[in-house]
Amino acid sequence: MELKQVNEFLWEIPRIGGMRVPGRIYASRRIIDDIRDDPCLEQVANVAHLPGIAGYSLAMPDIHWGYGFPIGGVAATDAEEGVISPGGVGYDINCGVRLLRTNLPYSTVADRADALADALFATIPAGVGSEGAIPTLDLSEMRRLVRDGADWALRQGYATRADIDHTEENGRLAMANPDAVSAEAYARGRRQLGTLGSGNHFLELGRVDQIFLPAEAERLGLGHDAVTVIIHSGSRGLGHQTCDDYLRTIGKAMERYAIKLPDRQLACAPILSPEGQAYLAAMASAANFAWCNRQMMTHLTRRVFMETLGISERDLGMTLVYDVCHNIAKFEDHVVAGRRRRLCVHRKGATRAFAPGHPALPDAVRAIGQPVLIPGDMGRYSYVLIGAEGAMRETFGSTCHGAGRVMSRARAKKEARGRDLIAELRAAGVTIRYQGRATVAEEMPAAYKDVADVVAVMEGAGVSRRVARLKPFAVIKG
Amino acid sequence: MPRNAATREIEHTGDVGIEVLAATREELFAEAIVALGRIMYETDNIRDRECRKLTVFADDDADLMHDALSAALNLFLIDAFLWRDANVIAISGGIEAELIGEPFDRSRHRLHEELKAVTYHRLAVERTPSGWRAVVIFDA
Repeated sequence: MELKQVNEFLWEIPRIGGMRVPGRIYASRRIIDDIRDDPCLEQVANVAHLPGIAGYSLAMPDIHWGYGFPIGGVAATDAEEGVISPGGVGYDINCGVRLLRTNLPYSTVADRADALADALFATIPAGVGSEGAIPTLDLSEMRRLVRDGADWALRQGYATRADIDHTEENGRLAMANPDAVSAEAYARGRRQLGTLGSGNHFLELGRVDQIFLPAEAERLGLGHDAVTVIIHSGSRGLGHQTCDDYLRTIGKAMERYAIKLPDRQLACAPILSPEGQAYLAAMASAANFAWCNRQMMTHLTRRVFMETLGISERDLGMTLVYDVCHNIAKFEDHVVAGRRRRLCVHRKGATRAFAPGHPALPDAVRAIGQPVLIPGDMGRYSYVLIGAEGAMRETFGSTCHGAGRVMSRARAKKEARGRDLIAELRAAGVTIRYQGRATVAEEMPAAYKDVADVVAVMEGAGVSRRVARLKPFAVIKG
Repeated sequence: MPRNAATREIEHTGDVGIEVLAATREELFAEAIVALGRIMYETDNIRDRECRKLTVFADDDADLMHDALSAALNLFLIDAFLWRDANVIAISGGIEAELIGEPFDRSRHRLHEELKAVTYHRLAVERTPSGWRAVVIFDA
């Protein structure tokens, strides 16, 4: 794959063959050298074939090999002439991350880390066969939930108004339509509200160990050494089934729209087609479920902290800093080649990172830019960023979403043989609770890039800025 | 039922992939279904107490593999049914699969991980000189 260096942090795949635009990858020299022969670059080029794609097929520095789209990919398609691709959103629709801050200094909970981890693991179910702390919902309640998103949780007493205000899109995409979601998707989702799931999903307790931008950190309520909670999860089976349902429908419809693409997993349909509109309505419904899912886990986390530590809600002060989605397609206005255009921005393992002043941001953070939450691996650290002007100029308001894998799951399991990863994490000051030992092996710290290298690229490119670094002390995994 | 088939995990950075080899087409599908179960849970403690039947139709073998594995995945995810073996017979335009196992019992069964979906990425079902081969990538 031919790669041209544009600047210190940007590389270009020139347009060839059926590519409608060039590909562009944000990466340092070291990151690009590591992926030069990886299939993920071919996936960046494949995405450039999508009808109506604007500007560039983009990839963030946490890029790795996905299915269809690379993980870390961003593609913006024209809202009228372009296509929507379920594969460009992924199976885990509105997989995302939320960050909670507390009034608690780490020193006050350090000796309660195991008790908190035990209680969280017992209260927040991982998935299959778990008895949910949230009652199973009937179909009519599920339909209201996917229509109303986080507002449903607010009505039920599981959220505060401030939670809603600090959630991307206020936790609800209005284009949701409960009729667009299949019976199988509802069946998969109805017992999973408030569940974490397995794979790379987690709940992590940490503390603020480094502050880069003091004024911005203060605005976000992140004091040095304060205890934080990160929740990483998505739309669970409801979203996974929705993606699968529409990949099938749209895959079959492509011939009718004379769309030919190099990878079947890139299946897409014109945004304005009946299939495209139906997918968007279903995707929005699944996204709304995901916001409720993370909100329910927030509710349970608050309860666990208060009960385990014997403190009041006021003393705990557990408020939502922000909730971001990193697997989603959204309609946004961006300037491309000097012209403002309405675009459908697919973010597949990429995070919205709007710059200061953007009207979509809540009042509390509009002056500083959108908070962006970038989890690292479970042994090192995570970052809180804010969006910067470069994102609006170059990346359709997007930045990275995590560290990015460097090791396949199969290889990670091989590397973990004969090692006691639990003890290694314990030695690094991290206590872990988990359902599947294989998941711990697959998610071992060495399976990921150092997230510090990833966020440094985005800062160097002027796309986002580091506000604070968080160090984990307890991790709950499905 | 003993099968002339084998599965190996293949390298894929973000997800879980398998390559399945079998002497016959029916054994290929049966082995892939059993391999899916092995990824998600420990099969040693599963008793042969119940049989669940899946009937799947598709236009070609790749779609048939996708749809059969997706149906089996939903049996686990929606009904919490765990299987340790599978028998497959070919029918016109599709397959019938019998999955043999029992409902999930937290006190005896050990889960590995939950898969999200069967992807179309690099999905292949093909005849080889010595039998049949399939490649499937799961979103994990």
